[in-house]
Amino acid sequence: MCIFHSGALKRPLTIACALLCTAILTTAVRANGDILPHAGKQHITVKTANISLQQAFQLIEKQTRLQFAYDEYEIDLSRKLVLKSGHVSLGELLDTISIQTGYKFTQVKNTILVSSVALALSNAEKAQFPPPVRGVITDSSGRPLPGATVLIKGTKISVQTDVAGRFAINAQPDAILVVSYVGYRTLEVAVKGQQELIVAIQEIREDLNQVVVMGYQTQRRSAIAGAVSVVNVDDVARIPVGFADQALQGQASGVRITQSTGQPGDGLALRIRGVGSVNNNDPLYIIDGVPTTDGINFLPADDIATITVLKDAASAAIYGARSSNGVVVITTKNGKSGKTSILYSVYAGVQTHGYLTPMANAAEFKTLYNEMVVNDNAGLAPGNPLIKIPIPDSIPMANTNWIGSIFRTAPEQDHELSVSGGSEKTQYSVSGNYFNQDGIILNSWYKRYTLHTKLVSEITDHLRIGTNLNFSYYSKNSIGSSGDGYGGNGGSVIRYALFRDPAIPIYNAPGVYTDLPTYPGFFGDGYNPVGLANNTNNVEKQFRGFGDVFAEYKLLPGLIFKSDFGGDVFLTQDKTFFLNWGTNGRINDPNTLTETQTTSENMIWNNTFRYNTTFNKKNNLNFLIGTEAVTNTTLYTSETQQNFPTQIPSLEFLGNGISMPITTESEQQWALLSFLANANYSYDNEFFVTGSARRDGSSRFGPSNRWGNFFSGAVAWNITNEPWFIEKFPIVSRLKLRASYGQLGNQNIGGDYPWASIVGTSITSSNVKNYVFGSPSLVVQGNTISTLGNANVKWETSTQSDVGMDLAILRDKLSLTVDYFDKVNSNMLVAVPLPMIGGTASAPFVNDGSVQNKGFEFDLQYKNADHRLKYSFGANLATIQNKVLSIPVPIQGGRIDNGVYATLTTAGHPIGSFYGYQMNGIFQNANDIFTSAYQGPGVRPGDVKYKDINGDGKIDANDRTFLGSAIPKFTYGATSTLSYQNFDLFVLFQGGYGNKIYLQVNQDIEGFYRPFNLTKRVYDTRWHGEGTSNTMPLVSWLDQPNNIKEPSSRFLEDASYCRLKNVQLGYTLPKQLTNRLHIKALRLYMTGTNLVTITKYTGLDPEMYISNNVKAEQYQSDVAAGIDWGTYPAARSYILGANLNF
Amino acid sequence: MKKRTLLYGFLIASFCFAGISCTKFLNKDIQGVYPADQFYTTSANAVQATNEAYAALTFTSATTNPLWVFGDVASDDAASGNPAASQDAATIDNFSFSTTNSHLSNEWGNFYEGITNCNLVLANVPTIQMDTALRSRLLGEARFLRAWYYFMLVNIYQNVPIVLTPLTPAQMQITQSPAKVIYETVIEPDLLAALNVLPASYTGADIGRATSGAAAALLAKVYLYQEKWDSSLTWSNLVVNSGKYSLMPLYSQDFDVAHKNNIESIFEVQMLGGQDPNVGNALNQWFGPQVVGGYYCDAPDSNFVAEFEVTDSAVADPRLNYTVAADSTLWNNGEIYLSSWSPQTGYLTRKYQQPLSQAPIIGQGSCDYLAIRYADVLLFNAEALNETGQLAASVIPLNVVRARARNSYLYDSTLAGFGAVPAGLLPPVPAVSQNQVRLAIIHERRVELGFEFHRYFDLMRYAANSNLGPSYVNPLINRDGVTGFSYAVDYPFPIPQSEMDIDKALK
Repeated sequence: MCIFHSGALKRPLTIACALLCTAILTTAVRANGDILPHAGKQHITVKTANISLQQAFQLIEKQTRLQFAYDEYEIDLSRKLVLKSGHVSLGELLDTISIQTGYKFTQVKNTILVSSVALALSNAEKAQFPPPVRGVITDSSGRPLPGATVLIKGTKISVQTDVAGRFAINAQPDAILVVSYVGYRTLEVAVKGQQELIVAIQEIREDLNQVVVMGYQTQRRSAIAGAVSVVNVDDVARIPVGFADQALQGQASGVRITQSTGQPGDGLALRIRGVGSVNNNDPLYIIDGVPTTDGINFLPADDIATITVLKDAASAAIYGARSSNGVVVITTKNGKSGKTSILYSVYAGVQTHGYLTPMANAAEFKTLYNEMVVNDNAGLAPGNPLIKIPIPDSIPMANTNWIGSIFRTAPEQDHELSVSGGSEKTQYSVSGNYFNQDGIILNSWYKRYTLHTKLVSEITDHLRIGTNLNFSYYSKNSIGSSGDGYGGNGGSVIRYALFRDPAIPIYNAPGVYTDLPTYPGFFGDGYNPVGLANNTNNVEKQFRGFGDVFAEYKLLPGLIFKSDFGGDVFLTQDKTFFLNWGTNGRINDPNTLTETQTTSENMIWNNTFRYNTTFNKKNNLNFLIGTEAVTNTTLYTSETQQNFPTQIPSLEFLGNGISMPITTESEQQWALLSFLANANYSYDNEFFVTGSARRDGSSRFGPSNRWGNFFSGAVAWNITNEPWFIEKFPIVSRLKLRASYGQLGNQNIGGDYPWASIVGTSITSSNVKNYVFGSPSLVVQGNTISTLGNANVKWETSTQSDVGMDLAILRDKLSLTVDYFDKVNSNMLVAVPLPMIGGTASAPFVNDGSVQNKGFEFDLQYKNADHRLKYSFGANLATIQNKVLSIPVPIQGGRIDNGVYATLTTAGHPIGSFYGYQMNGIFQNANDIFTSAYQGPGVRPGDVKYKDINGDGKIDANDRTFLGSAIPKFTYGATSTLSYQNFDLFVLFQGGYGNKIYLQVNQDIEGFYRPFNLTKRVYDTRWHGEGTSNTMPLVSWLDQPNNIKEPSSRFLEDASYCRLKNVQLGYTLPKQLTNRLHIKALRLYMTGTNLVTITKYTGLDPEMYISNNVKAEQYQSDVAAGIDWGTYPAARSYILGANLNF
Repeated sequence: MKKRTLLYGFLIASFCFAGISCTKFLNKDIQGVYPADQFYTTSANAVQATNEAYAALTFTSATTNPLWVFGDVASDDAASGNPAASQDAATIDNFSFSTTNSHLSNEWGNFYEGITNCNLVLANVPTIQMDTALRSRLLGEARFLRAWYYFMLVNIYQNVPIVLTPLTPAQMQITQSPAKVIYETVIEPDLLAALNVLPASYTGADIGRATSGAAAALLAKVYLYQEKWDSSLTWSNLVVNSGKYSLMPLYSQDFDVAHKNNIESIFEVQMLGGQDPNVGNALNQWFGPQVVGGYYCDAPDSNFVAEFEVTDSAVADPRLNYTVAADSTLWNNGEIYLSSWSPQTGYLTRKYQQPLSQAPIIGQGSCDYLAIRYADVLLFNAEALNETGQLAASVIPLNVVRARARNSYLYDSTLAGFGAVPAGLLPPVPAVSQNQVRLAIIHERRVELGFEFHRYFDLMRYAANSNLGPSYVNPLINRDGVTGFSYAVDYPFPIPQSEMDIDKALK
């Protein structure tokens, strides 16, 4: 049964059905056109005599409060009528129409139901009525279904179930009842003389009829021809994390999400279908129609209603210029008409650290140090200045576990209160969220408050307006969480903790952190990580307003105009005080206060016309055309002052320092203007064709290259609509084949003015310095070109093809979606690394180079709700084959030391491939060295042996080889839900395979060249004589150039992992109990995250992907991914929560 | 109906609104910074562009301009010192470095950055409408600096690419030119051109800019390095006879912030601490002891200390104490220097070192680097005279340098025995034979100019000299037996690997 209100726009079908049908059951008036209440009293003015049925309905709707309801497939609206002009009564008019068309009208309150046959029963039929058959219709779990239709087969007799799912129908004892309900499989039940029936009907997988938010409009899922992942928001909502993107991990195939550090509030890296560019690979987020590339951290997972990931060209192309990295479309929750719903969700828990690298203790360190002294003094004449002395026994040594001392058990909590509801015309939702998370490393924390309101109202039958507003505020204190400080946010505290010698105590005196040890020559001069974390005062605050207002006007039946104005405005303030401390105040000398403010104003206005029509009953066509204008202004100011005489927080304010404050200001602007068009055609729900076109103009390119056109198309064939197929393969309940092809653009290249060369100053650019002249000395400003431009830059274009299949068998219990895609990003914008002979200005972007990503995606679902134990299982897996097809100059990235890079991006290999020497064991003896390729002077037994790749008998730069990349070969996620009576269990696994991480920090804690601590593994497995080790060289500072310095496979590790991301056990209180408590529902749960990680990786967290250091690299993204400098690991957490529904 | 038409009209108009002002909407001008084509337009900007050409001389970072690593650590004068702070220096110290050594790439990039900034001035300033005298001076400064940077590159890497104009990315694939070509087509013409337009001196706020004297002195040095003794003599004579320069009474005054840009200074790299953005001297921290937060790098070797003359009554050349801190001597803040402060050699250099009272931020010293001082030119002069056979004349400038050192006892009241020069201290060198004078000059250069980053470059030209050669130089650098230096193998330093990887024209 498919009923559309001609007057309403998009009222939920189920409500319409339920309303209508319940009414029929209780108050239906038998009518064949002339028995309409009040119909005789109302009068209609007919101006034109020759009109269509549709026009007649509109005429009546306009002049009365009545609305027509009918099945579009049943009623032919184009039927021509010949009416009498002038003033006629409604009853008379309807009679005339009924005579001319044969359609019957039934009035139910203000709705006139149109049907091709009378709904009424004849008196003769009535006479035969036996005693009624009564019963209850339920879903598979036994929940009663109000508004289900029960029809006696072969007749027109039908009734609807009431609010308790009950029905009563006068059926013969041998009759067959046909039970149907929207979203459920129609079931035939034989009465067999029974008078009481309980009929359970099976839900059709809801995703079939699910409405999916696509580009600027919605589509039924079954009509989508492109490749999209619709994320199960229920699963996302189960995962108690503060950030929605974090909860997405493992939930959608082809979407790789990595949490690079465990610092609360640090962003995530989200990659859709691989890594397409050496530039930015972050996707575009569309939240309630407003685009942003600034992440979705401001959005609590509880506020999200739907998440759709548009993966292929056909679905993403409507977003043209910014879609090449894929699009994540999010809608937030809104109220439903009906009773007000008040929900309160809360959870709280504790977080702890997981695996920690076992480090040597003080005694073991001393052993290793002294062994190094023996090794390095070998062969030196007495009196040689290079002779080292062992650590004397007389020196006192503490035994501090540094890595253990920086962690804590940290609390976190989250509260969400939402009120939603509405009338039939207006729905609203208001929610507030508070999230507070302390990090597992000392002094790192994050707090967030958000307010979300949404309102949609049908003001008239033609006009609908709505608004959606999010306000958020967060503050966080970030300690150094990754990298060695090169990226500008301080070195990772983990790194310092790994380095720090166990012989040094944490405190010199109560409350006074040790800094330099008395004997730095023996115990090193790194920073005290406990002091460093606790002395960090780096508080960032952000106020963000995000939202839109829209108006939708129905111009003609099926034609809707929508204007949507949105904004994303945020102000980020960062205040960092670099406290001066340490031995002789050596750290942060002079102390410095830096405050920065970034104001970003992002305004968007889009206007669309969309038109939907069905003709010849089976052809459905919808069009969308529109424009979109986006403009962004980012204002950045900063103030710095040095030399604060008193270091107490109440005086750490600008103006209290002695030096002159320095203020800088900069502004950047960009704009995008787009024209878009989209058409979807379907025939009989069997064939689907989609096409999109978009023309984008971007201010980021010079006037001659400003505009880009992007096209895409897709076709799909729903084979299960073919009778022959159903006959041959009855087991298959759904099979759809899809194919798409198209182009997407990318203009997100970091800078807003790539076409111009820019002159910088010492404050704005790292390659510009001031100088000094005069007597007395005075600073003079210098200026030079800091960035080179290229007037010819244009779009990056990604061309993508996709073939896919949606298959369901066993009445949709088991479903499988498979996609294969091939995505080639061409005209890639590359800031070609320039030789230093041309100076140090940043290289200009040129459109040169291409990258290919191809792979398979599988989504498997199995759902069984037939038993009291209900369970479902979902798994997704995606493969990625990433390859650079061409690039003008190989790009070095992944700096592991000054001037030393671990990755090379070059044709024939994945982006950011690790490139270096292949370790080939340890030289065991002199003969081993003699018979191996020549590795340089001074190589001795115990040193690392490298593989002579080109076989020329010597190890040199030509023996560097490709060693793998940080892009996994495949990623996967698996969820399982189980419920039994009031208990439910949820399990989520997630992982990746085949990616590597260069464990840079091990160069320092396993490669020994200065007095920093070493891993326990060095102590246990080092070479100390022939045959003692073939993996860990001897301890030697002198041999460092051979054993550590160059990137090699020695520190490259397999970072494949499988993580038990989440386990949750929930209990819903029984109804009797909650009723007594005057609440609708209460569910309690306990959950654990990151409980188990299976990996061979020996760093702290195999999920690390991009370190803070890349911020200082030329290519700040995937080119430099997978370098672990010692990274703040993700927390393991144990949480208790409750969902309360009033 | 009319109402509805109006509404439609409005909707369609608003729908198209964005289209009307397309071009305007998409024109986003650069805010807050100069696009390059608008910058080189005023006299003030021409001066700022020229100022920038000096920046590559500075030591605001000891790693982006690691001249100390090449001049001292690679030579027999110094060890790298702190292993943690100068790992890459340690491998240069014993010549076990690889082509990815950061000092190789940093110094290469630093000098080419300087050259690029000179080229931008030379390409853009001539078209600016401005005072012509100022314009020609600025062009002269740029040519002097460009010659300076090329001379440094030639000394470290020998054959390098010649770049004389701002390059587009496509033009940046350039192969090496032989050092001889660089000398003859770049360095010498640039210096001769600069000499003609630069003033002999500056006043007030311009003090510290390149002078004609600096160009002449550098010419003398450039010819000396090529063993073009006559030409070198011409230019050093010009400086010596100009009457503009003389030695300071006291050697230590050259390294003292109170005597910046003194009469001995011919070209001086200007530094100033406590500024933001930083223009201070980082060497103050890199060479300083850990007790004040220093990194104790560039530690003098014992054989450098042994080079200083000592009288029979054990009075050492006073330049030793002015140059090197040894055990139990007084350090800058009144503390007693202990040899344990420099774990590798026991010594630290005193040059570029300031007391905390003068440089409260240790990483930002105010000591200048005397790139060319008059004593250096006197020794060029002595060397050129000696090599051209003017033995008697050659010892005169040599002995002027020795006399000033000796006479420290007349000016430095902190010296024990102040007021009278101790007997037998630094006697005048007699003009005995050409080779003896040659060795005397070599010795004098080492002690007079120690820790001013000249020694390695001197050693390399000695190795190329037919009278001295590798057999003279190799044992000096190979002093500890593990260095393994061989002039034939280890000279010059290789072009950094990263540059070889990108500039495919390099061989």
